[in-house]
Amino acid sequence: MNHFLTERLNRRGFLRMAGASTVGAAVLAACRKAENVGGGATGTSGAAVHPPIGQEPGNLQVFDWSGYGNGDYYPDKERLGLWQQYADATGDTPQFILFANDDAGYTKAATGAVRFDVVHPCFYKYRDWVDLGAVQPWDTSLISNFSSLNPKLQQQGILDGKQYFIPLDWGFIAPIVNLDHVDVKEETFGILFDDRYAGKISWVDTSNMMYIGGLFLGVSNAFDMTDDELAQVRDFLISKKHLVKFLWNQSYDFWLSFKKEEVWIGYAWPDTVGYADAAGMNYMYMTPKEGRVSWVCGMGLAADTENYRHAHAYVDSWASTKAAEFLLAWYYYGHTNTEADLSVVSPGVVAALGLDDPTVLDPPKAIPESYIPRRDLYQQYWSEVLAS
Amino acid sequence: MTAGLLSAPMLWLLLFFVAPVVYVAAYSLGAIKLFPADTGVISFDDWRHFLAGGSVYLGLFWKSIRISLTVSIVVVLLSYPIGYFLALCVRRMKYVLLLLVIVPFLTSFLLRVLAWKVILGDRGILNSLLFSLHVRSPDDPISWLLYSQFAVMLVLAYVWIPFVALPIFVSLNNLDRSLLEAASDLGANRWKTFFRVTLPLSAPGLLAAFIFVFVPTIGEFVTPLLVGGPSGYLFGNAIQDLFTRGTDWQTGSVLAMFLLLVVAALMALFGRFVQVRAVTSD
Amino acid sequence: MEIATSKGARVWLTVFFWLLVVFLYLPIAFLALFSFNAGDPSFPLSGFTTHWFTDVLSNDSLIGSLRHSAVVATASSLIAVALGVMVSFALLRRRFFGKPAVSALVFSPLVIPYLVFGISLLLVFALVDKVLTAWFGSYIGLGLHAVVIGHVVVALPYTILTILPLLERLSVSLEEAAKDLGASSRETFRRVTFPLLMPALISAFLIAFTLSFDEYAIASFLAGSQETWPVFLFSQLRVPSLLPQLIAVSSLIFIASMLLVLSAEMGRRIAERRYGSEYAARGFI
Repeated sequence: MNHFLTERLNRRGFLRMAGASTVGAAVLAACRKAENVGGGATGTSGAAVHPPIGQEPGNLQVFDWSGYGNGDYYPDKERLGLWQQYADATGDTPQFILFANDDAGYTKAATGAVRFDVVHPCFYKYRDWVDLGAVQPWDTSLISNFSSLNPKLQQQGILDGKQYFIPLDWGFIAPIVNLDHVDVKEETFGILFDDRYAGKISWVDTSNMMYIGGLFLGVSNAFDMTDDELAQVRDFLISKKHLVKFLWNQSYDFWLSFKKEEVWIGYAWPDTVGYADAAGMNYMYMTPKEGRVSWVCGMGLAADTENYRHAHAYVDSWASTKAAEFLLAWYYYGHTNTEADLSVVSPGVVAALGLDDPTVLDPPKAIPESYIPRRDLYQQYWSEVLAS
Repeated sequence: MTAGLLSAPMLWLLLFFVAPVVYVAAYSLGAIKLFPADTGVISFDDWRHFLAGGSVYLGLFWKSIRISLTVSIVVVLLSYPIGYFLALCVRRMKYVLLLLVIVPFLTSFLLRVLAWKVILGDRGILNSLLFSLHVRSPDDPISWLLYSQFAVMLVLAYVWIPFVALPIFVSLNNLDRSLLEAASDLGANRWKTFFRVTLPLSAPGLLAAFIFVFVPTIGEFVTPLLVGGPSGYLFGNAIQDLFTRGTDWQTGSVLAMFLLLVVAALMALFGRFVQVRAVTSD
Repeated sequence: MEIATSKGARVWLTVFFWLLVVFLYLPIAFLALFSFNAGDPSFPLSGFTTHWFTDVLSNDSLIGSLRHSAVVATASSLIAVALGVMVSFALLRRRFFGKPAVSALVFSPLVIPYLVFGISLLLVFALVDKVLTAWFGSYIGLGLHAVVIGHVVVALPYTILTILPLLERLSVSLEEAAKDLGASSRETFRRVTFPLLMPALISAFLIAFTLSFDEYAIASFLAGSQETWPVFLFSQLRVPSLLPQLIAVSSLIFIASMLLVLSAEMGRRIAERRYGSEYAARGFI
């Protein structure tokens, strides 16, 4: 199965969509912005001399989602898979600071309310983090596993010509439905807005619902909607809000509810698929006609970190095949390491995630989550949806 | 000597209470911005936008008022008989029984909300009890118990009843019995005595009880987060989200200052009718 | 009490009272019940077990958060009591201009919603850090110290409300007598006033402690990576993978707070014997 994953990750289709267009656009935008951003934030690391690792304070501060090493979901496995290599190499134990979601994490950093060494945002926020001046480029020569990582996906982490982020984990966003109770007429995001299933639906609790609504309503670019389109999506979401049982922040929250059949339909990440498969549920992880949204997240290095080499060792641990196999086996997330062993994943999950389908990441089947230039406006309209 | 005594407390309050509040006020007026790329100019635009009903938040505020009002009235109605019972019908175990009522309030608020989350869910204690008693089938739980405005009101009422029983009890306990006797001597039956003597005299306690629950619940955001679901979203939640999700701190500050002003105004208004010390000391 | 209620009314009231007490305690009783339940907290029961309690002991982040809360509560209560004593003395034993203003100021934290206050402190800390980073290249950051600061502010009115009444009752003549006998101000305080104030100080400390230990809103904005117990509990409530453990701890905490209240009640009875029933009636409530 190995070569299927490799083949798919190397797919030009994915690069064509996610890589070329978005990175290209981002680079163009970056060129324009480069004049505004001060030299210090995007300064080259070549000029700075970094002390040997023994002189660094240690106690690496990792700003991340829950369950990515802090042990909320799999206390031992998270450690063994994700950062045991780091602990063995440096003798340091990382400290985890959690954010509820990408937006909350970014806000905390923007207000200076958090000090971190390493941060783990997703592709559509990379631009925001770089503009904030909160991150500095990595020195990939210090990351031994870097050569095993898919080079085309690594391009996503290059902004302004520098490797600000190391893309590591990826997955999808699509509706998951309980086939025992839901009659699927058509695979579409519209199932999240289906009047037949009032009170049995769960949405995610972020402004991402705005672009989901946009995709369903068929706007031209869901990640850069016009004011009219945004208002339209807002009103649509408001009209459908009564169908929603609850909004979730952490995936496991949603899973527990899905498992108990309190909700039958939900906006879901691949880990839910894995749990559902392991529990023997009769589920469908849709490939919506609008396209499954795909996300890629990666590690960023804090601009003012004192743990330069520690951070690189941490990313190295995350980039290893061990980490890849952990994420695959337990969260059913993809990983950018091309040498991971795919046999750790059950066939049911392979089918649901299309791991053996070389075209699963090509359009129109998949849409990468892209940079949202007017994020604040999306947030504002989403707040209005919540408040109505 | 006085300066010495007061310097530490005053400094603490000035630095850590007055200054922050002023800072939020400045934020709401646009004098300070999160990303000072734009100049900070004092403008009332955000306030005007909010107050004129331009955004959804004013409607959300009235929703919160409506819910707080409902909860407060229900809580006072339920607590009054408790206070009455303890003050006027019990002789020996008065304070022990009062303690029995109050103790839950002194335990963790979050834990009590947790208890209700466990009770009210579709597969929670109440529903699973109904399933095992075959009153309802597992496919058809009572689903409006949790993640609803009902859940928010129920939990808030549950949390506040113990606390609110106290001022009612205190004012009834201090009732001059001889007044009741006098009324009785003058020929009034018990209902008349109640409505024309007891109730009016206990009004300060009633009012204090009402304020004790009404004012804090206007800004409540924790309970809605845990049991409110999408329809239980309240004004406090909007404030919290504006500060933690996005960078629109101007609007967040406007809402926060508005809440503060409303609460302060209410306290000042009611303060004319109720002496805080009179209720808590005697 | 026949004047106030008829016999029939009294029966109804008694029934109502006990029904309400049951209503108040039932959720807590359920928590206690399910802390011994082997499976999820729902009927039917899955069997008796005590392993949730032992699991709690090995849950580092849970224990850590309890520890953080204890530290924060102790520190903020001590400071709040100390400041409360100062303010009470100033308000009662001293004459100065602007007493109503000072009075209003020290009680105003009662008014502010903790949500707003937490946010405002967050803003101020962010500002201070920005300034410090720009000037000195260092920062203070958020954390338990910030939570302590916030909790002192909100606890202060309560400590004053507790200490003030007792201080008022203590006869000034006792202090004057001590001074006549040659004691300095400091000695008078240490050997006469302070011991007499002790019941109120303890009450104030307990109130402030309870307030701080359970406080969520302010802590949620100001705690950095070191979570306090309510912040930890809240984050786990939204990811109920550890629900039975939380239920187990909650039962323990409830018992602990019951014991605390009982001991406070006993303290009140002791004070009653010492100072007469008038003080006891006020008690610490």
